[in-house]
Amino acid sequence: MLHNVRDNYIISVKDHVSKFEEKSFRKLASNDFKSWPSPREEAWRLSRLGVLSRKEITPITPNFKKPISFVSKLNGSKIIRFVDGAFREDLSSKLPPGLSLNILGEEDSLRCFHKFKNSNLKDHPSTNASFSCTPSILKLTIEKDIKIKDLFEIIYEGGDDESSVHPALYIELKDNSSITIIERFNHLSSLIMPLQLVELKKNASINSLKIFNDNQQSYNLSANCTFLSEKSNYNSFSLIKGGLFTRSETHAYLKGEDCNLNLNGVYLSSKNQHHDLTTAIYHDVPNCTSKQIVRGVLGGKSTGVFQGKVRVAPDAQKTDGQQMSRAILLSENAIANAKPELEIYADDVICAHGATVGEIEDDQLFYLKSRGIPEKKAKKILITAFLRDIINESVEESIKNFVFEEAELALSDIISTEI
Amino acid sequence: MSLLEIKNAKLKLDDKDILKGLSLSVNSGEVHAIMGPNGSGKSTLSYMLAGRDGYDLESGEVFLEGQSLSDMEADERARSGLFLAFQYPVELPGVGGMSFLREAVNTRRKFLGEEELDHLAFVKEARKVASKMFVKDEMLKRAVNVGFSGGEKKRFEILQMAMLKPKVSILDETDSGLDVDALKIVSDGVNAQRNDENAIVVITHYQRLLDYIVPDFVHILSDGNIIKSGGPELALEVEKNGYAGLINAA
Ligand SMILES: Nc1ncnc2c1ncn2[C@@H]1O[C@H](COP(=O)(O)OP(=O)(O)O)[C@@H](O)[C@H]1O
Ligand SMILES: [Mg+2]
Repeated sequence: MLHNVRDNYIISVKDHVSKFEEKSFRKLASNDFKSWPSPREEAWRLSRLGVLSRKEITPITPNFKKPISFVSKLNGSKIIRFVDGAFREDLSSKLPPGLSLNILGEEDSLRCFHKFKNSNLKDHPSTNASFSCTPSILKLTIEKDIKIKDLFEIIYEGGDDESSVHPALYIELKDNSSITIIERFNHLSSLIMPLQLVELKKNASINSLKIFNDNQQSYNLSANCTFLSEKSNYNSFSLIKGGLFTRSETHAYLKGEDCNLNLNGVYLSSKNQHHDLTTAIYHDVPNCTSKQIVRGVLGGKSTGVFQGKVRVAPDAQKTDGQQMSRAILLSENAIANAKPELEIYADDVICAHGATVGEIEDDQLFYLKSRGIPEKKAKKILITAFLRDIINESVEESIKNFVFEEAELALSDIISTEI
Repeated sequence: MSLLEIKNAKLKLDDKDILKGLSLSVNSGEVHAIMGPNGSGKSTLSYMLAGRDGYDLESGEVFLEGQSLSDMEADERARSGLFLAFQYPVELPGVGGMSFLREAVNTRRKFLGEEELDHLAFVKEARKVASKMFVKDEMLKRAVNVGFSGGEKKRFEILQMAMLKPKVSILDETDSGLDVDALKIVSDGVNAQRNDENAIVVITHYQRLLDYIVPDFVHILSDGNIIKSGGPELALEVEKNGYAGLINAA
C-alpha cells in the first residue's frame, strides 16, 4: 500500500516549494506529486521505484560556488554546465551568434509545465518533482536558418548522496536550424530527475547524444518530451552505463508530415545495475518515419529493460515505423526484458518490430574459432562488433569514435568479469 | 604419413545416425573430391572435422599430421593447420574484414613461431593476395560477409585460405551459387595453393567444379558413408548417370 506510506521525499518536495504562490508552476507540480508510481502500473512494472520512498533524500539547494573539474574529450566543443541541477553561466562557453540561452520566467515556465502535463509524461515522477524543485528552466534557442557546426556538450554534475537534483532544459530549434548536442550525466546524487523539452520547428534537425554515467549508487529518472514539426529530424542515441538505476524515458510526438525520428540506444550493465530505455512514439500525421535500434550487453546480476511504444493514429497513413531490440546476456544471473507495444490504427503503414534476448550467436563464434581465434578473444570481437555496428549506424561521423570509446570503457569492465 | 586420417567416424545429430563409419586417408600433395547428393552428410563431415560444437564423434577418430583431433577445440585445430571454407559463410556485422584477417593470420603465425605482422606489413600482404582473388580493397573495409554477394563470399573464403596457408583445407560446396567467371577465379585461387606440403578436400554436389580443380581421387558419399572411390573418371560417371545408379550398384 504505497499510497498510504508517509513518504519522506514527497514531503520534502512540498517543504521545498512552500514559499511559492499557490498558482506558481512549482506549487501546481508539487500538488500533483502524490506518490511514486506503483508496480501495478504497466509503465513501471519492470522498473520499480519502491525503494525511493524509504530513502532519506531531500531536494538540493544548489551551491553556485562548487568547484568542478570536468575535462572534455572532444576538441573545441562548446560547453554548457549544470551543477546541482542549476545552470552555471560562469562555467559555460560563450555562445556563437544565432544561439541563445535564457532562464525562463514564471509565465514561460508555466507554459513549459503545461506542455509536459498535456503529454503522456504527465504522471512521470520527474515531471512533478522537477517542475517543483528545479532551480530554473534553461531555454536554448537556435534561431531560424542557423546551422551550428561546433559540437555542443552539456555537462550535468554535482549533487551529493543525500539529495536529488533537477536540471531542466528546453531546446527550441527554429525553422531550418540544426545542431549536435552531447549530454553527459555525471552526478554524484542519490536521485537525478532531468527534464527536457525539445521542439523542432519546420525542417529543423538535431543530433542528440546522451551518455548516462552517474555514480554507481544513484537513480536517474530522465524524462524527455519532444515535438516534431513538418520535415524535421530528431536523431537521438542514448548510451546508458552508469547509476544503480537509470531509466531514460523519451516521448516523441510527430506532429508534422515528412519528419524523421531515430531513437536508438545501448545499455551496458554489470553488477546489480538496472538500466531502462523507455520510449513512446506518437505518429499523429501521415508520411513520417521512425526507427529504433536498441542493444544491451549485460553481466553480473544486472537487468535491462526496453519498452517501446509506437502509436499510429488513424490519419497517419504511410507511416514507416521500425523497431529492433537485442540484448546479449553474458551472465546466467542477468536479465533482459523487451516490451514492444504497437498500437496501429491506420491501415496503409509499414511497421516492423523484433526483439531477441540471448547469448552470442553460435555460428558467428564458430566462424571466428574456425579461423584460429581463441574463444575468449572471439567473444570480445563479437560483442565489440555488436556495439560498433549500432554506433556506426546511429551516430554522426564526427563523434563516432568518441561514443565508441565511451562504450568500450564500460564494456571492458563487463567483459573482464564475464569472459 | 597422411596429413588427414579419418578412421571409422560415426556421428549422430539429434539421435539420428549421420556419419556411419566413414574412413578416409589424405596424403600431402593430394586433392580429394567428395561428391554426394544433398543430405548425404557432406557438411556434417566438414563441421565434424573443423570441430563445431555438437558435432563430436560418437566413435572413431581423426588425425591431423598424426595428431588426434578429439581433444582439440575448433580454434586449436585451425591454428594447427586445418581450414574450412564454409558452404554458407557467416556474416559478422561490425567486424571489419581487414582486422578480422589480421587477427586470424597473426594468431596462426604466433602458433607457427613466426613474427606477427604489423599493421602496414599486413595490409600490404592482404592487398597482394586480395588482388589475385579479384577482391577489391573496398570489400576488405566492409564488415565480414555483410552484404557480400554469393560469389564475393566464396572468394573471401579462399582469400582467407590463401593467407592462413593451412595444411589441410576442406572446401564445402565452394562452387555453389557461382557463375562460370566466378568459378574460374575461385578455382584459380585454390589451384595456386596446391603444393607438395598441403592437401585439399573439395566437397561438391556437382562435377562442374572438378573441371577446374582437378582431383587426384574422387569419393562418393551416400547416406553417411563413402560407397565408392576412384580417379577423376568417377566424377564423369556421376555427371553422366547421376548418383542413383552408383548408389544402387553399391
Ligand atoms: N542439426 C541437425 N540435427 C539433425 N539432423 C541434421 C542436422 N543438420 C543436418 N541434419 C541432417 O543430416 C543429414 C546430412 O546433412 P548435411 O551434412 O547438411 O548434408 P549435405 O551437406 O550433404 O547436403 C541430412 O539428412 C540433414 O537433414
Ligand atoms: Mg552441405
